[in-house]
Amino acid sequence: MQRSFVIKRILYAIFIFFVVLTLNFFIPRLGVNDPAERYYPPQGNMSEIEYEIIKQVTREQYGFDVSTFKQYTNYVSGLLRFDLGNSFKADNPKVSDLIAERLPWTLVLSVSNLVISLSIGLIFGTVAAWKRGRWQDSLLLNLSTISVALPAFFIALILSFYFGFELELFPAYTNPNMVSQFDWSLDAIKVVFYNAALPIISMSIGGIIGYSQRTRNSVIAVTNEEFVLTARAKGLSQNKVLFKHTLRNAMLPIVTAVGMSLSGLIGGAVIIEQIFNWNGMGTLFLEANNTNDYPLMMGIMLFMSTIAILANLIVELTYSLLDPRITVGEKR
Amino acid sequence: MVKKLLFLCLMSVLSVLLLGCTVNEYERRTDESNTLYLGSVGASFPTSFMPWLSRDGIAPTVASMLYNTLFTYDDTTGEFLGLIGKEWYYVDKEGNPILTQDGKIDYEALETIYSGSENNYLVVKVIIHDDVYWHDGKNLTVEDIYYTFDIGTNNALSNHAGALAWTADLQHTYSNGILTKQGMFTYENGAADKGYEIDESEKDTVMYLHVNKVLGAITSLFSTILILPKHVWEPIVSFDNQLNSKNPTAESLSHYQNPIGSGPYKLDALNSNAQVITIIRNEDYHLRDDDDFLYKVERIKFMLFQEQNVAIYALLKGHIDILDATISSNYLTLFEERPDIFVSNASGIFTQTLVLNVNPATSEKNELRDLLGITEFRRAIALAINQEELVDNVLNGAGMTSSAGLLRESLSDFYNEDADILRFDLDQRIIEANQLLDQIIPDKDPQGYRLLSKNRIKYSILGTPGEQEVISRLQVQLQKIGIEIEYKAKGSSPERTFLYNSKFDMTLQGVIFSLSNADIMYRAHFVTLSQSSNYGRLTDSVLSSKINEMRLSLNLNYKYQLLQELQELIAYQYYKIPLYTSNIISVARTDRYEGYIVVEGSTIFNGDSLKNIRRVEG
Repeated sequence: MQRSFVIKRILYAIFIFFVVLTLNFFIPRLGVNDPAERYYPPQGNMSEIEYEIIKQVTREQYGFDVSTFKQYTNYVSGLLRFDLGNSFKADNPKVSDLIAERLPWTLVLSVSNLVISLSIGLIFGTVAAWKRGRWQDSLLLNLSTISVALPAFFIALILSFYFGFELELFPAYTNPNMVSQFDWSLDAIKVVFYNAALPIISMSIGGIIGYSQRTRNSVIAVTNEEFVLTARAKGLSQNKVLFKHTLRNAMLPIVTAVGMSLSGLIGGAVIIEQIFNWNGMGTLFLEANNTNDYPLMMGIMLFMSTIAILANLIVELTYSLLDPRITVGEKR
Repeated sequence: MVKKLLFLCLMSVLSVLLLGCTVNEYERRTDESNTLYLGSVGASFPTSFMPWLSRDGIAPTVASMLYNTLFTYDDTTGEFLGLIGKEWYYVDKEGNPILTQDGKIDYEALETIYSGSENNYLVVKVIIHDDVYWHDGKNLTVEDIYYTFDIGTNNALSNHAGALAWTADLQHTYSNGILTKQGMFTYENGAADKGYEIDESEKDTVMYLHVNKVLGAITSLFSTILILPKHVWEPIVSFDNQLNSKNPTAESLSHYQNPIGSGPYKLDALNSNAQVITIIRNEDYHLRDDDDFLYKVERIKFMLFQEQNVAIYALLKGHIDILDATISSNYLTLFEERPDIFVSNASGIFTQTLVLNVNPATSEKNELRDLLGITEFRRAIALAINQEELVDNVLNGAGMTSSAGLLRESLSDFYNEDADILRFDLDQRIIEANQLLDQIIPDKDPQGYRLLSKNRIKYSILGTPGEQEVISRLQVQLQKIGIEIEYKAKGSSPERTFLYNSKFDMTLQGVIFSLSNADIMYRAHFVTLSQSSNYGRLTDSVLSSKINEMRLSLNLNYKYQLLQELQELIAYQYYKIPLYTSNIISVARTDRYEGYIVVEGSTIFNGDSLKNIRRVEG
């Protein structure tokens, strides 16, 4: 991999970041009414002058009292200091503090989901490919069809109602004291995973099937390659052919998919978090949206976009490391 | 190796999940105490309880239980009921109360005295209870009220637009932090100098206010502004550390999070977080129910649910006592044959209307919209709308039809039945509507739709996805008079996109008119042209001047009479056509508490229920 290629990709990522940052700033403003008029309609005998003062105070309060360009430059200079601004919430907390508070809880769900989906998906997909045309393969195909028809939120509701409310095996919704009482003790960790069980399962079902399908297709494609036939012809054991030659070479598209899915780690759980009252980034975003908390909305969007840009960059840069046959950025 | 690693990875995650698998207990089921578990549907709970900043979701409800206003307003009687305030009345120049012999406000005398007065304000005397205490035990006096209103008007100290709006009718003004006109007077703040006599024994309980010369001027002062403790905030608030500062000091934050109010409940901060709020009864609350506490519940736990279906199931399964949310009538079947569930089907106060763009801005005029400017054409549309059908099908019967005067019948003091001009036999109405339209646009296509310049008369109605059903029904109803209707999504900011700039034909709009908001709302809905609720830009000089007269009248009885006349004028405009008033459906369990009270316009979690419900014995 050439150094110039790496620099180019990094510069491109920075460019994309600024485009995202700019869109992120302007798009929410397209739909903003004067906050003063939203919150404080004219009262009783209020004169126009009095109402103008009120509107001006509200604009100052919400940072709308200067030109849009000035707001933009303030926003960018704040970002350079890692300052995402202050939320409109009652005590004006810093957006970065709110994100830092919620992020770990979302990561509990999304990282667990990724690990479970990937582990089971790899195994299931490999078995389906290896037993192509048999019941394992048919099962995967049928499950894939069903999963398309069953969105994650619906699965989440079913799990919450059946395993949570009816059977009471797991909490139907998160214990409201889980976050406030968390103290890193084993008991507290157990409580977190107990409460996270149904959200993780809800999220994982689609992930497992997705990774299984991807693995199956990739393994089948590699199985027909000459080097696999050669390995078989050499008389290697089935396990060696499968794990050392086939699966290893089939991993590239899966690793790419994992890389791409990193961008959805933060924002992928909005509805699931809502159903299970999980106090993570998804519910923070909904909260921001419901209350027209633009700084918070912009902060979350920017954070998610940054993760996506970084994930793409990492995937691109690691292609050649994963597969030596790929030579990115080098002249032929 | 890879196989083993994958297996190990999977097993470790599953074992961590299963590690926590213990018997699940829901607190309410084993709670024998007098604690009400209340489900609330929303995005999050506040952790800051500075009452002026509590604007969204459950925050205003909680704030109103921790703090008090001076009075509450009873919409049906038009009277203020005492909270911190004990009584109030207007006074004349000599400070004499303007009251009738039976102790009520003498509005005729008020009008006589103040109409001729050179002063451009009314003088209001307020007397508060002498036994109101803050949660930290200190006595609440008129100085706290003076401080609250004073800081509200002084944006150098409070920087709070809401407070400025609420106190706009108080003639107490600041300019750059300097008091330019004093409009409140207490024993310690210039009452004697102004000629208002306050005995020393009354110094903590009596104050005078100068308010704008309209009856509605006292409404927000009395019933909106939650009173703040002067002894808490005065030492903290300064020009450098304003109330509502973007960077509150640690001390301010601490007071936001550990509020000291004077309300019937105190915050249990230790047992509150972003997903649960616990409040406990203030045993020293000054208002009592004879020898008993005014509110019968000792502790209330607000529990957050972000998804309504989950919250409903939590109620059905006994995790909460009350669901404080309005639920759709579609859910009613869930509660049938459930003796342990109380369904409150309370009359609503919002009337859903169809608003016609009667006077679009010049750039948005077209010949179809020109038709909407013709009163007879609008009458035809209004006649064709079948409210009963909408109530039966859209609301599953959980609602009622509304008067064309747009005021609900329960406001009997000023409801005018003569304004109810659209409720007669439907067949007759359709015949009359078609006759009217035949005179204006007689041409029809083979399908029966009316033609204007050889094109079908077709209007779009702005609505949300949830309102598609009502628009579909209107589509069928208006087909009977040859007008085609289509749904158009209004999006997330319809005011800016469509409504303020006349880019619409018709839209759905919920309206609510009452005595408490009449001064503001009638003007906003029927007079103001720019950026107001008068989306269709109606201009009618008779209606406008009547609204103005109503707003400025100092005689409440005459104001009632004008309100009645206004209803008729509004009805005959056929501008905001009533569709229905939906009921407010909410649910509660009866296995731990009983005695819920259904209140118009409220969910089952309301002040009357809180005063009445009692723990079920055993």
